[in-house]
Amino acid sequence: MTEEAAKFAPLIVVVNMAFIALGLIILGRVLTSKPLTSGVPGPRQNVGEFMLDFFVSKAREIGDTRIVRVVAPFTATFFFIILGANLFAVLPFPLINRPPTSYFGITIGLALASVVGTLIMSMWANGAGKAIKHLFWPNPMQLISEITDVLSLGLRLFGNIAGEYMTIVLVTSVVAFGIPLILHVLGFIPAFVQALVFTLLTTSFIAGALTHGEEKAKKAKEPRKSKGIQTEVRKGFIARLRGHGEEVAADPTKSESALAPSVEVSKEA
Amino acid sequence: MNDTIALAMIAVVPIAIGAAMAAWAMRKISVSAIDGMTRQPEIAPQLFTAMLIGMALIEALCIYTLVVTLMLANKV
Repeated sequence: MTEEAAKFAPLIVVVNMAFIALGLIILGRVLTSKPLTSGVPGPRQNVGEFMLDFFVSKAREIGDTRIVRVVAPFTATFFFIILGANLFAVLPFPLINRPPTSYFGITIGLALASVVGTLIMSMWANGAGKAIKHLFWPNPMQLISEITDVLSLGLRLFGNIAGEYMTIVLVTSVVAFGIPLILHVLGFIPAFVQALVFTLLTTSFIAGALTHGEEKAKKAKEPRKSKGIQTEVRKGFIARLRGHGEEVAADPTKSESALAPSVEVSKEA
Repeated sequence: MNDTIALAMIAVVPIAIGAAMAAWAMRKISVSAIDGMTRQPEIAPQLFTAMLIGMALIEALCIYTLVVTLMLANKV
């Protein structure tokens, strides 16, 4: 069985990835089959916004709406591709249940896409010269840090998912009844957590790359401005804690911009 | 001693030490995070994401040792 699976390994990965892509396309099609935000939001819009709201709120912590529109689709795509790939481990079918993320090539490719995408976003936001200069100038170790980012992201995902898959295979080869069910149920946890961790780390890389130049410029020009922004953020956070109605009353532009990017994201998906 | 047996005995050392130390560090993180969450439930989601990132960074070190162990185990 293992040798057979090893012989067909590239084919299995391609088929799995095709399944994931098909699932994403069907999901996007189902979510956007009717025009959204017409009157009372329906269940479809609720599902779409529930799934994408997390990424939009994480991206909004970085910066303004212009950044959210680029960052949220990027991280959401990573999350759903990695989650779909990880969940192949809990399928009960014998040959296709090897998750694509348990191959080192796939995970290092995803990590490369994340880091290169971060670099491109940094070029888009701060200008190409500034972004490339940032790799070398304050300390040349930044370039090494990018390479280790790729390695750590890829290795973390690969190690977790491959370890989980190997555990399932080993236990199934010893006891084929009952016990593997527990491992399959437990397999949901690393699948979700690793997808979430990959996404959160990508978001934090992007935050570091995008806000680096801006913070420096702000500090040089008006050193007291940052404190005011922080208190503004704190006020908004307290208003959000007190309830949705007060938040809308306190800051109507923010609640509108909260809806706009998520709608656009689900239309693009 | 046979070379294969020696390699097999050496191969489990990194993952044992790495898992033990990572478990110790993760215990510290989770204790602090739960402590903070019970003290201030309002910022529990932020603490949870910070806890996850910290745990992921520690887990990466453990995964490196797992990779080393797998590379050694493939030679047995």
